[in-house]
Amino acid sequence: MAKSTIYAGLEIGTHKICVVVGEAKRDGAIKILGVGQAPSRGVRKGEIVDFDKVQTCLNDALVRAEDRSDVMIRNVFLGVTGAHIESLNNRGCHCLPEDQPEITEDDVEESKEIARNVAIPQQNVFLHSITRQYIVDGQEAVRQPIGREARTLEADYHIIHGVRGRIQNAIRCVREIPLEVEDVVFNPIAAAQVVLNREAKHQGALMLDFGAGTVDYVLYEDGMVTASGCVPLGGDHISQDIAQAFQMPHGRAERLKIDEGSTLFQDVPPDEMIRVEDDNGLHVTDVERAFLNEVIYLRTQEILTQVRARVDDHLGKLAAGIYITGGVSLTKGIDAVAKEVFGLKVTKAGSAPVSGVTATFENPQYSAPIGLIRYAQILDSEKPFLSPLSRLGRRMKELLH
Amino acid sequence: MVEYDRSAPSESSGKDPLNICIAGVGGAGSNVLDRISIDRTVDAKLVTFQSDIRVLNRTNVTNRVQLGTDLMRGVGAGGDPDLGREAALFSKNEIRDALDGHEMVFISAGLGGGTGSGAAPVIAEIAKSTGAIVVVFATVPFSFEGRRRGAQATEALDRLAKSADALILFDNNRMGELVLPKEGIQKAFAQGDQLIAQSVRAVTSMVGTPGLVKLGLDDLVAALRVSEGRCLFGFGEAKGQNRGTEALKRALKSPLINSGELLGNAKNLLVHVVGGESLTLAEVEQVMKQLGRHVPDETQILFGLSVEPKLGETITVTLISALSARELATARREPEAQQPVVQPAAVEPVARPVARQQQPAPTRAAPAPQAPPPPPPPALDDLFVAAPLRTETLAVEAAAPAPPPVAEVRPAPAPVAHAPVVSAPAPEEVVYEAAIEDVAPEPPREPTRDSARVRLLNVVNPEKTVAAPPAQRVAPPVDEVRIEPEPAPQVVAPVPETVSVPISRTPETTQVRPAAVAEPMIVARTPEVAVPQPEPKAPDLFGGRENAPVAKKTAPVEQPSLRLGTEERGGRFKDTEPSFAAQGNEDLDTPTWMRLRRRVTK
Repeated sequence: MAKSTIYAGLEIGTHKICVVVGEAKRDGAIKILGVGQAPSRGVRKGEIVDFDKVQTCLNDALVRAEDRSDVMIRNVFLGVTGAHIESLNNRGCHCLPEDQPEITEDDVEESKEIARNVAIPQQNVFLHSITRQYIVDGQEAVRQPIGREARTLEADYHIIHGVRGRIQNAIRCVREIPLEVEDVVFNPIAAAQVVLNREAKHQGALMLDFGAGTVDYVLYEDGMVTASGCVPLGGDHISQDIAQAFQMPHGRAERLKIDEGSTLFQDVPPDEMIRVEDDNGLHVTDVERAFLNEVIYLRTQEILTQVRARVDDHLGKLAAGIYITGGVSLTKGIDAVAKEVFGLKVTKAGSAPVSGVTATFENPQYSAPIGLIRYAQILDSEKPFLSPLSRLGRRMKELLH
Repeated sequence: MVEYDRSAPSESSGKDPLNICIAGVGGAGSNVLDRISIDRTVDAKLVTFQSDIRVLNRTNVTNRVQLGTDLMRGVGAGGDPDLGREAALFSKNEIRDALDGHEMVFISAGLGGGTGSGAAPVIAEIAKSTGAIVVVFATVPFSFEGRRRGAQATEALDRLAKSADALILFDNNRMGELVLPKEGIQKAFAQGDQLIAQSVRAVTSMVGTPGLVKLGLDDLVAALRVSEGRCLFGFGEAKGQNRGTEALKRALKSPLINSGELLGNAKNLLVHVVGGESLTLAEVEQVMKQLGRHVPDETQILFGLSVEPKLGETITVTLISALSARELATARREPEAQQPVVQPAAVEPVARPVARQQQPAPTRAAPAPQAPPPPPPPALDDLFVAAPLRTETLAVEAAAPAPPPVAEVRPAPAPVAHAPVVSAPAPEEVVYEAAIEDVAPEPPREPTRDSARVRLLNVVNPEKTVAAPPAQRVAPPVDEVRIEPEPAPQVVAPVPETVSVPISRTPETTQVRPAAVAEPMIVARTPEVAVPQPEPKAPDLFGGRENAPVAKKTAPVEQPSLRLGTEERGGRFKDTEPSFAAQGNEDLDTPTWMRLRRRVTK
């Protein structure tokens, strides 16, 4: 039997806080053991603005996840996002020493080191540096350079960085629960691991995680991460537009959007009204459906246009098209808007099938937290395998230091 | 791999080194010299020129020349360049003795002070007369040292430029920024000295050693050929694996270059790569390739390469370029500019010229009162330039209809001088101050007609005669002189749209106002307000009105940004940072439909 490890992924979203507990087997399979979710308060645009509220909600979600999965959660993989997170691609070139014909591990390390040495704003920290490819003597797209004979080795990196303080704040908030943060992951990077399959990545695909607070995107070209980032606009903005257009509280606007909302406004007869009720079922007001849909359409289209503005340079190579995930992707007609904005094939997608609690499958709301588990698994598989004994030894060493 | 022929003769520079002398003038200059002598990196004669005997005794440079021994009696020039020059002229012979017989003379001086700015030009002249090539390394004083010193430095620069073959300028302000604020001042100065010392060394080796690809003084001059240029200098050395890349990396890290960011603006860039005998072509190629990423394609790269056996395994990379002081300042200010500021795009172009306008003191003659209304902007402008300060700023803005940079407006002179020429030296701060003071405390949505009336009351403020009389005399028939009294000078919270509502004395104009004031700017803020189109009958003179408030908004610099935001970004997104469109600066947190509607109604 394959050995398995249990991971917990935590996403502090603008709409919900979600803890997913999953079992990752060494053969690559994932089984979801339990999901704990709580509506989120005190998060705006993917970032924590009110610590206390977030911690209360996080506790709720955590307790539920522990209950359902019957696992005690100590470490989590934390997904973060926010407008401050940016990305860039950089190459590091390394000349091999003369007396050495073949590329060794040291050379690879050296070229990585050079590639990572890139100027980012002073207050920023690296979140990820993802190897895109190696270039050996000008030959591109080399995956495994070690052992090749060459003079120069270039490492091509996708580097994601964000403001130190803002990432640190999210970590601090989680640590105070107390939970240990094993790793911090940029949300779309995690989500892409389960939303995009290998083929889509190779053909070229843009994944949009359309959440409540932000739209996070990752763009793959030839199987390599080419662009990623975050647009600080999301479903919340849609709800707010509705709230202001019909002058109703945000919560009611949110409900209205989820229950009735759609982006297709052109074919709606102009006099069709929606009856809006309050919590007790009493009639509050009537809302014109065409107008509601138009408000939603305008905002959705604008948000997607903002995303497009950031990835415009790379849209040429996306054979697999756009994959939309995240809560807002459940909106009716959003694929049509995306198609109109990007002019590419659009797929609404959730996480790829995993086994376990079936309700969470395919629900695009859970792409990111499930992705965190997958990310943890990938990370682990890249690590050299350690025997239990040596692992114990390392533990002891850590303790002693 | 191609490798240079080690047996190539003639390239070894040790044989016939240039006869070089490095002179440090004044306090700053001798500090640099101290640094060089400690590092012992340059093969040259070092001479310190000082008027202050105490400083002179403290240096560890052996060749010392006391300037103006009899005149100064061992006391410093005390910040007076004339005294410094006198002292140098007194000691002319000693200077000549010290400098004579050198092929190149480097002069290092801190400008702005007495000895540095006074004596350095004299010494440069003497050095030139001995037939040497003269290269001057000078520092420009900190801006906090005051304008006087700044002016002295500029004057000294002009003199130096006459006799020096190359002038390498370092901006102290820039160097001050290099060091973290918390670090000691000593370290800050030491680092500055070190930088200059390094550049002296680099330039000596560059000019002095015959290279494989030679760089001469001409290239150096070319690299620095920028008006009012400030030197960007980067130096790095490294040995071991990947030494070329490493050296370049260090050179780019050099603070004056600001990790390569500033190179993006450079027109000429001088690159000098020096290595030991083991230098390979691949390494050089590597360095140049990497450097290419930091430099735009248009930049002319002056490349030099030499082999210096002394260096052994080390490679050094030197980057020299120059940026004009202005570019440097803008490059520095960039990060601030990126801060989100919700302001209409038109704001900046209008506001800036206003500030600039102050510099050429408003000694313009006022136009004829008969000046017909049709070409009002220039006429008005000039008219108000003649009036004292406060009116002037107002007028400039009022007279900028569609953002015509004021600079354009100004040259259209109205030659008939009626009013006395008032020359009011207006420093920029005053402009802002004025802008703030002029603001009447008034709720933004108050019905315009009312506000007009309130305003009118204010106008008849007897104290305000300072500004009024000349302006009135100038243009009696036009009669809508915009004189803004300051009812409450302390008011700091400006309600900008009221700012440049012109105050007029005649009843007709008063009647006109409600129409002209209109509400275009209010519309920009509160969408519910219906938009009354400005009535066509609004006279020409008010053409600038719509823009005027816009211009005004930027004037109080202390409280920028988020006017739109604070009013509308309530509710859900109030404690988040605003989202901005990738192009333009719309606040995306405002509902889309609202912004669209606003755009349509506009």
